[in-house]
Amino acid sequence: MNTNVANPMRPYLGQLTGVKDLATGIKLFQIELTEPEGQAAFAGYRPGQFAFVSAFGAGEAPFGITSTPARGPLLEFAVNALGHVTHTLHSLEAGDPVGVRGPLGNWFPMGEIKGRNVVVLGGGIGGAPLRPVIHTILDNRAGYGHLTVLWAARTPDLLVFTDEYDDWRAAPDTELHLTVDRGDENWTSNVGLITQLLEQVAPSLDDTVTITCGPPIMIHFVTLTLQKLGFTLDQMLTTLEARMHCGIGKCGRCNLGEKFICIDGPVFWQSEVAGFLEGFL
Amino acid sequence: MRFTTLNELRAWLDRLAQEHDLIAPRDVDGHVLYRPVASDDEILFDYERPELSAKDYLLPSTEILLRVEKRGSEVTLEEALPDRRQVLFGIRPCDAHGLVVLDALFLEQDPPDLYYRHHRERTTLVGLACPQMWEGCFCTSMGGAPDDPTHLDVLLKPVDGGYAVEPVTGKGMALLEGLALEEREGKPLPVVADAELVPVTPPEKWRALFEDQMWMRHGERCLSCRICAYVCPTCRCFDVTDRVVEERAGVTRIECIRVWDACTSTNYRRVAGGHNPRPTKPERLRNRFYCKFCYYPEDFGPLGCVGCGRCIVSCPVGIDITEVLHDVAERSGG
Repeated sequence: MNTNVANPMRPYLGQLTGVKDLATGIKLFQIELTEPEGQAAFAGYRPGQFAFVSAFGAGEAPFGITSTPARGPLLEFAVNALGHVTHTLHSLEAGDPVGVRGPLGNWFPMGEIKGRNVVVLGGGIGGAPLRPVIHTILDNRAGYGHLTVLWAARTPDLLVFTDEYDDWRAAPDTELHLTVDRGDENWTSNVGLITQLLEQVAPSLDDTVTITCGPPIMIHFVTLTLQKLGFTLDQMLTTLEARMHCGIGKCGRCNLGEKFICIDGPVFWQSEVAGFLEGFL
Repeated sequence: MRFTTLNELRAWLDRLAQEHDLIAPRDVDGHVLYRPVASDDEILFDYERPELSAKDYLLPSTEILLRVEKRGSEVTLEEALPDRRQVLFGIRPCDAHGLVVLDALFLEQDPPDLYYRHHRERTTLVGLACPQMWEGCFCTSMGGAPDDPTHLDVLLKPVDGGYAVEPVTGKGMALLEGLALEEREGKPLPVVADAELVPVTPPEKWRALFEDQMWMRHGERCLSCRICAYVCPTCRCFDVTDRVVEERAGVTRIECIRVWDACTSTNYRRVAGGHNPRPTKPERLRNRFYCKFCYYPEDFGPLGCVGCGRCIVSCPVGIDITEVLHDVAERSGG
């Protein structure tokens, strides 16, 4: 844990440098940390870690970090406007001050899975914490095997990071498959659940790791479908969420049985999840 | 034994109130509560179990974590920590035990909580032994006793004509410097603590009962009112939010506050988008008991219960933690 040692509940100060529309109701926030302590704390954050972003006056909420330090010093967060804090964040503009507390939690074992084939399965804004996985693989392309990305949303306007799909497709040994629950007049790609797409693509089991994030119901059915295809739970990584209030194992909010998503996760192997007393669904 | 009279004790407390935040049992509209007192006349010396625990003074029900001032794009943050020393007088041994349970999480697990640690360091605990066990009390089942000095800085016990004074820690000894003490023959009589013991089942046996029907039976009558967590000396869940205090002349003053929370509340585990992995009352009540007797001891060491009995007498629908403990023991084979 690389958070503020003197007071882990105190955010680092930052400034919004860019706000971009990512999908309907979802914006991408780019943040520059302005204090040296904050810059030091975030110097080596990892794919899958999360942080609290505060809109001063409204409060703070936890988000998966959707950037990687290798691609620049700005921290990026994809935020869906659903509650008080997220609506307030959506009302902010470049130049506005924000707070960031973190980086928190564990991360995807990008070192441990080097050399292996990777299947990334993202549902809706669940794609946000997976983007650092994709970027890490693309930026170290020779270090990993085949990359298959299965990217889903309820409707085409809810797909995130659409402006990067061409880059992902153009990368060597990389494939991208899109699907939506319901298409529109311009939609020419797959229609259906990500589980159907998964069965259709049927990625090779051989030396492969899957990484899934999305709504709990999606994670659940993706896990079942992967098992049907022959994958074992120790090949499957996932990242879980909760409406946390501290991120450091104190507030109690994110427990699954005796585990805390914030400090024992948010990244888990499905073989660990299967052993939890309490389910995430 | 060291002995003092009620008059000397009152004079000492009156002096302490000048230099400390003095918290003591008071009568508040017919309710006995630990409350700030300005002089010794406000203090109760003969009382049962205060209706709320003492955790409010170490983990306040509402606490300002940060004062934030926003001036255009400039923001300043300031921690809000009171600097006065605090004395909790008349705290019952179970409430001191509750603080030790909180210590295991807020002090001993990394990173420690700055605010809790600050309050803990500025506070001295002067306990007053219970002369008996009260309605619902089961401290002796949770490793405590009505006159247990273990978790206190000073323990007072009522004796003929005054109080036996037992310093427990150096901090307690230092505070006692201002109190007139005399040596007397004899020692206080032990408190009669013969309440029936409630069985405590070890965490690993709880695990086997997670899907047991008993959680439906206990949980379906829960009203999700959360009084059990509110009165509990060890419940520690919290929420953090901001409130705008003032907006004037381009300056916004904000307080980032921490408030008590409870895992029995309806939307405790609900996330943005509406998913709730713990949607029913039996699941939420089960979490409360598992936290206390399975998760907390597994994760942090101590049991999350000190046997104060407040949740039993406060529950509007009669959910009784000792009944749950008996049920768990019975289903686990005693």
